[in-house]
Amino acid sequence: MNATNRALNRMLVLVIGLLFVIIGAGAAALAFVPIVRDAWVAASGTVASQVTGFVQSNPLAGTGASWPLAAALALLVIAIVLLIVFVVRQGGGHTRTAVTERADDGTVQIDSAVAEHALEDALATHPEFVASHVSTYAVRRTPVLKVSVTCRRGVSPADASRIVDDTLTALDRLLGRELPALVQLSGGFRARVRSTTRLQ
Amino acid sequence: MSITQSPDAATAAASGAGAGALSPAGGPAAGRAPLATADPSRPDHTAVHRRVSRRETHSPRSLLAILLAVVLVVVFAWIGTEIALSLFGFGALLVAPADMFTSVLNLPALPVAVLAAAGIVVAVVGVLLVIAAVSPGRRPRHTLASERSAVVIDNEVIASALARHASLAADVDPDNVTVSVSHRLAEVRLVPSAGRPIDRAAVQTEVEKHLAAYDLRPRLRARVRVTEQSKVGA
Repeated sequence: MNATNRALNRMLVLVIGLLFVIIGAGAAALAFVPIVRDAWVAASGTVASQVTGFVQSNPLAGTGASWPLAAALALLVIAIVLLIVFVVRQGGGHTRTAVTERADDGTVQIDSAVAEHALEDALATHPEFVASHVSTYAVRRTPVLKVSVTCRRGVSPADASRIVDDTLTALDRLLGRELPALVQLSGGFRARVRSTTRLQ
Repeated sequence: MSITQSPDAATAAASGAGAGALSPAGGPAAGRAPLATADPSRPDHTAVHRRVSRRETHSPRSLLAILLAVVLVVVFAWIGTEIALSLFGFGALLVAPADMFTSVLNLPALPVAVLAAAGIVVAVVGVLLVIAAVSPGRRPRHTLASERSAVVIDNEVIASALARHASLAADVDPDNVTVSVSHRLAEVRLVPSAGRPIDRAAVQTEVEKHLAAYDLRPRLRARVRVTEQSKVGA
């Protein structure tokens, strides 16, 4: 419902997971497989001298510090910024206009608060529901109503869905158009406050 | 389609001028039929509804992704700080970059048990992350067929409704019925009142009847169990 980029979420988890698998399997191979261990030990000396030589032989102009290290630092900063942007962009997607109607002589906008309050007021009169909350999201630029309803114990989902749908149809007539809607039914566990009296 | 041209808009505005704008006009059943398929100008929201239903019945994996991103930011910030400190010739916070590099190269010098255990733990965490990334991540919810909206129902709601119907059919106290609803199975467990046997088949047909009426996706199979012990005074 919200604007979270789910593919990106899964991609990040997948990449980090694969990285962990590779590192972990590599470490286990170092411990258990003698050939890998010997190869690693044999290569480590030359790799160390090559890398230190590369880092030290490329001084940053003027400062004497090495530019490969400075480049690594810049890459890390860029990665940190990207990750923070990624975290901040989770969720969201609310919209404040439910209907935008453009005509030759002007534009009519209906605030989503109109639809939200009308639905909440209408649903509050039904004893089947403990609470209701309506919000509006933009799903691919289409305003979509999200009607979250908490049902009382034992309320049939079919009845609850029919009541909300009837309220939505009434709203359709009021607005003169049909907004797509998501109805979310939750709850059902609110038990009685006191035990029942036995009559048998 | 504009707001004033819609044939229904005028009547709605007139009837809605009173106190409750959305008070049911003509009873709950009456409002449903005419709009169903009669209006040719009725917009088709099937694609939006399908997308929204899918998103609401599956986990976005946001929590995991945010957690990993925060851990990465902390690790990157630490490594970045160490690099910056060494560039300007200050002492390291914990480990200097050069020492990090050499200690990675000297990994085989670690005891075999430590290296193996650490590697296996890291690999298992990685496998779990890959599974989390690839698996669908279903939430405990079902969808219900509706023409007007996309309806998503928590399994608890279904369980609680089935428990009510089962307790009526079996004539036991609602507190002696437990229902657990999973992805494809609704399991009803009944504790009979002492001396009053339960007609299991009747409860089964009743529960199946209601499940069929809900028309849930994915479909639920009903299984009714009556415990051998009964309760006194319930």
